[in-house]
Amino acid sequence: MQQFLEIISKPDNIPIILLLVGAIFFSWLAWTKARRNDALEVPVEAALDDKVQVWPYLVRVEFLATIAVMAILVFWSVFLDAPLEEAANRALTPNPSKAPWYFLGLQELLVYFDPWIAGVVLPTLIIVGLMAIPYVDINPRGNGYYTFKERKFSILVFSFGFLVLWVSLIVLGTFMRGPGWNFFWPWERWDPHYVAVLTNVDLSELLFNIPTRLPDNSINPVAMLFGAVVVLGYYSIGPVYWMMKRKDDLMQKLGLVRYAIVSFLLLTMGGVVIKIILRLAPMAFGLNPVKYVWVTPWFNI
Amino acid sequence: MALMEKFRKTEFYKSIFRHSYQDTQRNRALQIVDNVFLHLHPVRVPRHATNIGFTWGMGGITFLLFLVLTITGVILMFYYRPTAQYAYEDMKYLMNDVPFGPLMRNMHRWAAHAMVLTVMLHMFRVFLTGSYKPPRQFNWVVGVILLVLTLLLSFSGYLLPWDQLAIWAVTVGTNMARATPLLGHEGPFGPELGMRINNDVRFVLLGGTEVGPPTLLRFYVGHCIFLPLIAVIFMAVHFWRVRKDGGISGPESKKNF
Amino acid sequence: MADETIDTPQPDAPAAAGGSTPKISPTPLPRKPKQDRPPEQDPGIWRMNRRNLLSVAGWMGFLGFIVVSTVGALRYMFPRVLFEPPTKFKAGFPQDYVVGEVSEKFKDEKRVWIVREKDGFYALIAICTHLGCTPRWLPGDNKFKCPCHGSGFYKTGVNFEGPAPRPLERAMISLADDGQLEIDRSIKFLYEKNEWGRPGSFLPFTG
Repeated sequence: MQQFLEIISKPDNIPIILLLVGAIFFSWLAWTKARRNDALEVPVEAALDDKVQVWPYLVRVEFLATIAVMAILVFWSVFLDAPLEEAANRALTPNPSKAPWYFLGLQELLVYFDPWIAGVVLPTLIIVGLMAIPYVDINPRGNGYYTFKERKFSILVFSFGFLVLWVSLIVLGTFMRGPGWNFFWPWERWDPHYVAVLTNVDLSELLFNIPTRLPDNSINPVAMLFGAVVVLGYYSIGPVYWMMKRKDDLMQKLGLVRYAIVSFLLLTMGGVVIKIILRLAPMAFGLNPVKYVWVTPWFNI
Repeated sequence: MALMEKFRKTEFYKSIFRHSYQDTQRNRALQIVDNVFLHLHPVRVPRHATNIGFTWGMGGITFLLFLVLTITGVILMFYYRPTAQYAYEDMKYLMNDVPFGPLMRNMHRWAAHAMVLTVMLHMFRVFLTGSYKPPRQFNWVVGVILLVLTLLLSFSGYLLPWDQLAIWAVTVGTNMARATPLLGHEGPFGPELGMRINNDVRFVLLGGTEVGPPTLLRFYVGHCIFLPLIAVIFMAVHFWRVRKDGGISGPESKKNF
Repeated sequence: MADETIDTPQPDAPAAAGGSTPKISPTPLPRKPKQDRPPEQDPGIWRMNRRNLLSVAGWMGFLGFIVVSTVGALRYMFPRVLFEPPTKFKAGFPQDYVVGEVSEKFKDEKRVWIVREKDGFYALIAICTHLGCTPRWLPGDNKFKCPCHGSGFYKTGVNFEGPAPRPLERAMISLADDGQLEIDRSIKFLYEKNEWGRPGSFLPFTG
């Protein structure tokens, strides 16, 4: 526990505490405002639609905010020194060695995915997916004020992505990943000699005992086919079924392109969670964690 | 006081300040319009735009932190040489022997962390108020680009102290690039397209086959010149679009409800 | 096609702050003055004819210049010569190595482990195949363990735990003329490509 407090109070970890506190506080703030607006006929922001002079009413707010931010920043900088470790040494990797805090969520994903997915494809999809939001969210309501009632789905999806997949993975990666990137609870000591047994199997091996590699170390075509069916089926069955079932107004307005983009992005987000569960859940039952779902000669998923 | 009154009547004073300071509607407007820095603002805004509970002030704070980072960054450049031989020594020198050196470095680092934080929270707020909806779709896209630029700026600055923290964070980070599909020498279909360790996308970032002196120089130039320049251009577009897309987001007038 | 979209009057985005969106008026808009319309019978840039040949050629030249400049700028980032340490080095006499031991003598300088087995030598490159950290040799557990993400490798270099996608790489090892071991890091042997059986990946030695 004492070590946990030490890690929490490391200067470089202050931003993560601020992120955690900020994310919780602002979620609460937005939630209360949304509830208040949802209970009203007209959102508060619309009721206050008179205009005020920027000078002085906005400029003074900016001025005060500037003073507050500068004061906090100067105090922070006077009392906490930025870390400077030993000189760079290519032969000695610190244990654990971590990326900057804002990338720790992605570094955590590196445990579950090959680098080309966790390090390249997923970040690209996050960026592209964020950019696509305004063009796939065709709900015209809730533009310019806090609300939950009028856009439940989009707020739930975004909050899940931001609060659960981004913020809590960062917190997990910073505070609970110790030497060897092993998981430690806050009350446990980081033991550099701790050895976690992590013998990996692939999904086809776990479920049907089909090995992904033949004795001569080449890929087993049966396992490859199985993986392809699982992955491609995951991306197609749900969306196609849903499209057949719901031929209503929403589907008409959304159109096929938007529908395909939204379902691909959502399923990818869900797939990240599923892969994490596939890695962690078998261990709870004393089975080996799943490494890959789909093994091919060119890439593994 | 009388002297000041006299000064106010001089041609010199009037050539600088084009209007008086009496608290009238007209002067309040001129205060914004006649000032090159303040005319980023409109003259009047909806009342909820001045409510910090609505805006959280995160966009403005991000801009403020960018300014702080620019100034402290320039100050740090006086003592820093981006070569593997000197970089770490210069950091030690800055932290131990330069008056206010630690303060400048601390402010630069903490402001950088804080900026990443405020950018994220700004995005969170803009999403929760639905401010990316028409007509502001494209400005959200510009904002996402600025988020990426902020992360890249912070990441490239991470290498510059040339200590263990720096080199290993960047080693891990840039090694992901070798796994880029098609463009990395260990990514899917990369080797099939002729990618090798000395011609793939990671090589462009590092300027070599491993994190070394050329990497430090590349990251330095990227951190101090290239990325800030790009960021400033996109920031200009971002702020301009805020105004052109109808100012700060808000509900349509209450008649629509 | 392009001309039409340009000619269609676009409703302005709401100009005033927080103003209501202007409705597109259903009544036909007044005709635009003549100089705002494209010249009569303009085929557009994509349909070539005698009259716009020069214009198309000009734009092609412009495009070509942009492409060539971009390629040039990109090529600028790939220098012809690199100042990196040599990849080939001598690692002392084979008799100096103890059977069954993983030698870390050249790990710091060259990032190579030299392993002596009963029937010979092999050299493992000390770069984790996951993300390039330097793994540690844990003699007690008889394995290599990477501190970054917990990948584990057997003494042979084969991965068995953690996120590493493939085994460690082996470097070329041979006997030099003077009887010393010689290692060339630039020549690598990959297990997953069945290269570990090739000459150079393993140096038979029973002295």
